[in-house]
Amino acid sequence: MQKSNVLECVGLGIDFGGLTAVNDFNIEIGTTDIYGLIGPNGAGKTTVFNLLTKVYKPTRGSVFVNGVDTKNLNTVKANKLGLARTFQNIRLFQNMTVQENVMVGLHNEIGYNLASAIFRLPSYWRAEKKAKERVCDLLSIFGMQDMIEHKAGSLPYGSQRRLEIVRALATSPKILLLDEPAAGMNPAETDELMKNIQLINEKFKIAVLLIEHDMKLVMGICEKLAVLNYGMLIAKGTPAEIQSNPAVIEAYLGA
Amino acid sequence: MQKKFVIPVPVRYAINTVLIAFFLIAANSMIQGGGLGRAQTAIIIQIGYFIILAVSLNIITGYLGQLPLGHAGFMAVGAYAAAIFWRYHFLPDTANIIAGLIIAGVVAGLFGLLIGIPALRFKGDYLAIITLGFGEIIRVLIVNLDWLTNGARGLQMPRSVRYSSFLVVYICVILTCIFIHVIMKSRHGRAILSIRDNEIAAESCGVNTVYYKVAAFVISAFLAGIAGALYAGNFAVLIPSEFDFMMSINILMIVVLGGLGSMFGSVVAAAVLTYLPFLLVPLAEYRMIIFSLMLILMMIFKPSGLMGSYDFSLSRILEKIINFVISKKGGKNDAKV
Ligand SMILES: Nc1ncnc2c1ncn2[C@@H]1O[C@H](COP(=O)(O)OP(=O)(O)O)[C@@H](O)[C@H]1O
Ligand SMILES: [Mg+2]
Repeated sequence: MQKSNVLECVGLGIDFGGLTAVNDFNIEIGTTDIYGLIGPNGAGKTTVFNLLTKVYKPTRGSVFVNGVDTKNLNTVKANKLGLARTFQNIRLFQNMTVQENVMVGLHNEIGYNLASAIFRLPSYWRAEKKAKERVCDLLSIFGMQDMIEHKAGSLPYGSQRRLEIVRALATSPKILLLDEPAAGMNPAETDELMKNIQLINEKFKIAVLLIEHDMKLVMGICEKLAVLNYGMLIAKGTPAEIQSNPAVIEAYLGA
Repeated sequence: MQKKFVIPVPVRYAINTVLIAFFLIAANSMIQGGGLGRAQTAIIIQIGYFIILAVSLNIITGYLGQLPLGHAGFMAVGAYAAAIFWRYHFLPDTANIIAGLIIAGVVAGLFGLLIGIPALRFKGDYLAIITLGFGEIIRVLIVNLDWLTNGARGLQMPRSVRYSSFLVVYICVILTCIFIHVIMKSRHGRAILSIRDNEIAAESCGVNTVYYKVAAFVISAFLAGIAGALYAGNFAVLIPSEFDFMMSINILMIVVLGGLGSMFGSVVAAAVLTYLPFLLVPLAEYRMIIFSLMLILMMIFKPSGLMGSYDFSLSRILEKIINFVISKKGGKNDAKV
C-alpha cells in the first residue's frame, strides 16, 4: 500500500442477481491526480462510484482511502474519510436554498451541538457566520455567490451541476468523484467547467476522479484514464495510450 | 445596488420577546377579568394543545418527510404520565405543573426512541402502518393496565389545581414554536431537511441520517407528550378512548391543511380546525363531511396547504417595509442629482 495514493481499489466487483455489473476493478489514484473513468453507457462507471461511496456493498474486493480499508464503513463514514461525489442524475436538496445546500456539505465542519443551537450560544453564531463565508468562497469558484437565496430546484440545469460540485467540495474531501458533470451542458459551458475542475484540483490540492462517456472531453485534463466496458477494465494509461488502444477503439466503435 | 437594511439579531429578539410578553399578559388579563366566556376560553386552550400537537407532528411529516400515524400514542403516553404524577402532588403548585409537563415529555420521548429506532428503518406505507399499530397498542395497554391507569373507566384528575390554564398552555405553545424554530435554523435542522429532500445525497455529505431521523422522532414525541399533559390537565377525567386512530388523523389533517413544513401554517390550521366544530355545532352530523370536503378541495386547488412552506417572520416583513421606504427615498435623491 503506497502512502501517496489517495484511492486504491483491489479486485472490486459487484453482482446484481445474476448480472455482474463490475468485475475485478483495480485503480490507484495519487493525491493530486485528475483521473478519468470512461466507457460506453451502461459500462458500470456509476456503479463504481456507488461502490466507492458505499451506496452499494461490494460483492468482492477492497477499497482503500489513504491506505485505510473502507470494508466496514457506510456512506457517511466514507465521506468523513475524504470521499465526496456528485450524481449523474442530480441529487440536490431541491427545496432548500443554494446556501443551505452547501451548508449541508459543511455539516460536520460546522460542528456545534444541539444545545448551542437551542440556546443560540456564541459557538452557534461563530460557526454559522464562518460557514456562510465559506459558502460564498466556495460558490465564487463558479461565480455563483449571488445565488445563495435561490431554491436549488429552481436553478438552471448547468448551475445545478455546479452546485453539486460545490456541495461536495464543502465536505473537504481528499478526492472528488464527479459523475458526468458536463452532461447537458453546451460546449462553452463544458469548456469552462473543465477549466474549473483543473482549478479546484490545484487550489484545494485534491484528487479528482472524473466519469465521462464522451472520450474527447476528458483527454484534455486527465493525466490518466481508465476504460470500462461491460463492467471490465479494458485499458489504463495516458490519454495518448488510450487513444491508440485497439480494445478501446473497438469498445467505442462497437457501442 | 443599494445595501439592504437588515435588522440586527439582538433587536429582532427584543422585538419578538416584547410582542410575545405583551400578547401573553394582555390575553391572560382579559381572560382573568372575564372578558371571554368560559366556553371561549376552553376553545382557546384546546387550540393551544392542538397547535403543539400539529407543529410537533410537522417535524416528522413536514421536515423529515415521513408519514407516521401514531401521534395520538405519544400524546396518550404524555397525558397519562403527567396525570399519574399529578395525582401524587407533593410539590408546590407551579413546580408541580412544570415537573408534570417535563415528565410527560421525557416519558413520551423515551417511547419515541423505543419506537423510532426500529420503525425508522422503514419508509412510506410501512412506517405509517408500524406507527399506526404503535398508537393502537398504547391505547389498548392503557385500557388494560388497570392498576395504573384505572382502565376504561378513566383516570380522575386532582380537582384542586388548574393545570392547563391559559398562561401555562400558551407559554408551552410559544416555547415549543421557539424550540422548533431554533433547531430548524441550525445545522441540525438543515440535516433533517436534507434527509427529506434526498437521503442518499445527505449521507454523501456526511449527514448521519439514522441519528437525525431518530432525533426528529424523539423531539416530535417529546413535544406530543407535553401536549398530552396539557390535554390531561384540561379535563376532570382522562379516558383512553380519546387517544384513538381518529385523533392521530385529526392532527395529521391540521398539518396537511396548514402546509407540510410550515410551522405558521400548522398554527393557523390548528386554530381553524379546532374552532370550526364549534361554529358547526348546528351541523354536527355533517361535520366530518364538511372536513373531508375541505381536505379534498384543498388537495385539488392548493395541494401545498394553506401556507405552502411559508413561515411567518415579523422581522422579515419589517425589513421589507424599511427597505421599501429606503429605496423610495433613494430614488428621489437620485432624481435630484
Ligand atoms: N441497483 C442496480 N440493480 C440492478 N442493476 C444495476 C443496478 N445499478 C446498476 N445496475 C446495472 O449495472 C450496469 C452498469 O450501470 P451504470 O453503472 O449505471 O453504467 P454507466 O454509469 O457506466 O452508464 C447496467 O447494466 C445497470 O443496469
Ligand atoms: Mg452512469
